[in-house]
Amino acid sequence: MSAPPAPPMPRTAGSAAEAYRLEGELPMVEQPAVPFVEIETVRAREFIPAAKEAFGALIAEQGQAKLIRPTFNWAGRNSLFPLHWGLACCAIEFASAFSARWDSERFGIVPRSSPRQCDLMIVNGTVTWKVAHKLITLYEQMPEPKWVIAMGNCATGGGPFRTAYSVVPGVDKLVPVDVYIAGCPPRPEAMIDGILRLEELIRERRE
Amino acid sequence: MQSDDVARTVAAQIGERFLGLEPFPRTAGRLRFRSEAALPLFHTVKEQLGFHHLSMVGGIDWVTHREVFYVVWSDDRRQYLLLSADLPAAAPHIESAASVWPAANWHERETWELVDIQFDHHPDLRHLLLPDGYEAHPLLRSFQLHEPEELEVKQRSV
Amino acid sequence: MWINMGPQHPMTHGLWNLRVKIDGELITDCDPEMGYLHRGIEKISEDRHYNEVITLMDRTCYVAGFAWEHLYVLAAEEALHIQPPERAEYLRTLCEEFQRIGSHLMWYAAFVQDIGLMSPFLYGMRDRDLVLDLFQSYTGARMTYEYMRVGGVRNDLPPGFTGHARKVLDWLSDRFVEYDRLCLGSDIFRKRCDGLGVLSAADCVATGVTGPMLRSAGVKRDVRRDRPYAAYPQLDFDVAVADGADVTARYLVRMEEMRQSVRLLRQVLDWLDHHPGPVLADRLPRWLGAPYAPVGKEEYVLKRNYPKGVGFSSIEEPHGEAQAYVVNEGSEHPYRVKFRSPVFANLSATRHYLVGYRVADIPPIMGSVDICVGEVDR
Repeated sequence: MSAPPAPPMPRTAGSAAEAYRLEGELPMVEQPAVPFVEIETVRAREFIPAAKEAFGALIAEQGQAKLIRPTFNWAGRNSLFPLHWGLACCAIEFASAFSARWDSERFGIVPRSSPRQCDLMIVNGTVTWKVAHKLITLYEQMPEPKWVIAMGNCATGGGPFRTAYSVVPGVDKLVPVDVYIAGCPPRPEAMIDGILRLEELIRERRE
Repeated sequence: MQSDDVARTVAAQIGERFLGLEPFPRTAGRLRFRSEAALPLFHTVKEQLGFHHLSMVGGIDWVTHREVFYVVWSDDRRQYLLLSADLPAAAPHIESAASVWPAANWHERETWELVDIQFDHHPDLRHLLLPDGYEAHPLLRSFQLHEPEELEVKQRSV
Repeated sequence: MWINMGPQHPMTHGLWNLRVKIDGELITDCDPEMGYLHRGIEKISEDRHYNEVITLMDRTCYVAGFAWEHLYVLAAEEALHIQPPERAEYLRTLCEEFQRIGSHLMWYAAFVQDIGLMSPFLYGMRDRDLVLDLFQSYTGARMTYEYMRVGGVRNDLPPGFTGHARKVLDWLSDRFVEYDRLCLGSDIFRKRCDGLGVLSAADCVATGVTGPMLRSAGVKRDVRRDRPYAAYPQLDFDVAVADGADVTARYLVRMEEMRQSVRLLRQVLDWLDHHPGPVLADRLPRWLGAPYAPVGKEEYVLKRNYPKGVGFSSIEEPHGEAQAYVVNEGSEHPYRVKFRSPVFANLSATRHYLVGYRVADIPPIMGSVDICVGEVDR
């Protein structure tokens, strides 16, 4: 099989800015310029002593017991790793949320393929009885602390398929759910909003 | 014109087990046959009439009896042909088409588990879409759907 | 040794389980296990009114919702003896061709990511969003449209749509050149794709494989040409074919199909500009959109004697040849709805194009099949 050679470059060079200019028919709101924050860069081997010093000072000031949980929650909620798996329609919007337009990685959300690396399970689609025990296995393999988001109407309550013989009417019959996102399917904005709501829940987490 | 040719060839091959060729819009027609003539009919349709491509196998539960239908396509004629046979409601069975068209394999597995039609001499007749051990056949008319709340109430009362 | 790849595996792109038997790195046998997304759509349809089934069709194949709406609507119209107006047929063609581009871009994004190139995922999704924006402007939804109706479509296009759509087409046809440079010019891509997953034309026909996989084996078969429907008889296009029947050939076929879709869409947009008219047939039976009968109150459904009929339709879906069979027994609900999913048939032939290759070849080969589990399991 001899595929043709690579063609020459197109007339216009592509850039994301140009792609979005196409939808510029609608009046766009002028965004104020965001001031650039200078960040002091430290080398990896300098980071740990610097962090130790800073935390030592904080612990001396506030006490260890008071500080550990908020620090832990702060780190946890800013690096949520959802499980990378697609159940149904919502999985496509889940994937869209990681594309250039929405870019969920801004919020520290990076999908991982192994449940042992994840702390968030986004149930993005219809759950059938055939996959129910596999879903529970995956949930059990995730390390604590872990959260579950039911994305879309099917995961919330069966959606349009609630009367079907093979569909679990809501994933909360199987695993505890923290946040429900409505929509069929929810837009990527809604998914990001759901994750931000979950971050609020994590902020208040004690125990 | 072409449809006459189909009816003539099939009638010559399977005799009175050929029940007629009904007109069907934008296809070569809907060919009705007795289920015991399945295998000779499949060979005739594929090898003599040139319908090499099996597209779909499906079943319908008519309560009094079941119907199994096949959709085949011929590249030379550029036409579909529908084959359909009536089966008794009690223990419906028909010869598998998988030895003639290998494409029939999965379609027949699906029809078996959803509409409960037994395919004799099928190479691998087991559950495809439903979990193993599922005993009901959901696409029968006697199979009822329920709202989930309704089911919960029933389970509690039992 | 048998190993399970799935149901949760980065290769699967959906819920299914590929069981492969391996001897070292060599695949000696395989057995796909389906049904993890079986939602009983054919059964639920028997409980819905004719127009309510369209809701389920969007969710059957979630990357090509319009194609499945079109498939069902064509079969239902044949069963109910309804003729849609001409403008509706052109609008449906518009939807289906844009959906083909959208679906192939989604495939491109997912497939090239499997091979190891990350940036094409971002490019593919970026350009797919432009197509979805167009859908959103006249249906209000990005993926689940519920736009087509038995007897036509729901509403006409908004003013200024065709000009905007032409700009998107210009943008896209330039991007296809870039995609080709990115993939065909990449050594990684060529080494991982050339000569893999070969399925000869004879095997394709025997196992029921259709769509880009069949055309990549050099067979010029396309329902849009062989059994034209909607507005396709009036439109001019070429059937994309390639030889080689391997992963690269499937890539080439899909890319060429997108170019042909652009060509078709320009003709459709020109027609739509100059032929205003109704988009929904008049004299539709009122019960097409009647409310859903409450469960347990089936007597609410009036048993009237409508003319009976059987409808059969076949369309060229982005994944291959899809078919629908709708039986109308004279009540408000279809008596039986049966669908033929192209991916279902393409997956049933797995043994023919996986055995003999290495485990590391599975992601490119299965990626080139373009799997949408929703329509396989239904």
